Amino acid sequence: MPDYSDKELLALFKNVEKRNYAFNLIVRKYQEKLYWHIRKIVIKHDDTDDILQNTFIKVWKGLDGFREDSKLYTWLYRIATNESLTFLKQKKTKYLLPIVDYENQLKETFQSDEYFNGTEIQLKLQKAILKLPEKQRIVFNMKYFEEMKYDDMSEVLNTSVGALKASYHHAVKKIENYFKED
Amino acid sequence: MKNESNLKFNNLQGANKNPFSVPEGYFEDFPSRIQEKIVSETKQSNRIAQFFHVVKPQLALAFMIAGFAFIAITAIDAIMSNRVNSPATNEVYTRIIEVDASEYSEQQFIDILLEEEKKSSEQKNEETDEYIHYLMDEGIDYGTLIDEL
Repeated sequence: MPDYSDKELLALFKNVEKRNYAFNLIVRKYQEKLYWHIRKIVIKHDDTDDILQNTFIKVWKGLDGFREDSKLYTWLYRIATNESLTFLKQKKTKYLLPIVDYENQLKETFQSDEYFNGTEIQLKLQKAILKLPEKQRIVFNMKYFEEMKYDDMSEVLNTSVGALKASYHHAVKKIENYFKED
Repeated sequence: MKNESNLKFNNLQGANKNPFSVPEGYFEDFPSRIQEKIVSETKQSNRIAQFFHVVKPQLALAFMIAGFAFIAITAIDAIMSNRVNSPATNEVYTRIIEVDASEYSEQQFIDILLEEEKKSSEQKNEETDEYIHYLMDEGIDYGTLIDEL
């Protein structure tokens, strides 16, 4: 796969004849990053697959109007995050359960999930992460696992860098306490 | 394991490695799957757009008729409700008469009513006379009239 920059990909997409090719390259470039980002929010592979497809369909529909005010990478992350949060909300309304209950259900799925190969520590960490409030969970995952810069996170989540730092700090403290208590 | 679990967060080195996995060949197949989905969605949306393009004039006509019907029903309804409101107007007239009636004496009312009665009885007599004259002119006797009836 040729290594195109985001700007080159966008320029290629604007060429109607090469649109499909450019989109294919965008999918290939970002599918893994977005998949893992979504997977850490919704946990199950099948749900992640649905959300990733919806994300790229939205990208396809919206890319024509993308004005490059933000980076392509942060724009893609924003769509993926919003799709994941919408999915969680739908789950909550579908089963008339508070979101905490759905996340408690998710904790139980780790053991039976054939696509979870974590160690005992990793399993415990995932369970601790699921105890965090939704926003803190996303911030923690983006910083701890994806090592995203606060500036980029700020663009994705539309939150100030200061608030993100505080959110990450609180998340770390809660996880430390979870490990201490258990 | 307990000791390992009690490690502080800072010591959880390696925990930030991805513990999840995907089915084999997932990322190789995904781009073609998404392309297929986009093509099928585009076809479907084109079909819908084509359908609307065809039925657009008919839909416009149907909406126009529905609009006219709505306006007509609303207008009729408004007229009918005005009619229903007319007793209220009569009520106002009655009230005015009641108030103004204080200016007239009882005798004046009796005279007016008697005059009205007299007029109507005179009119009735005139009509009866007309019938009698007609029957006499045509030579129709009482027996013939009964037979006709």
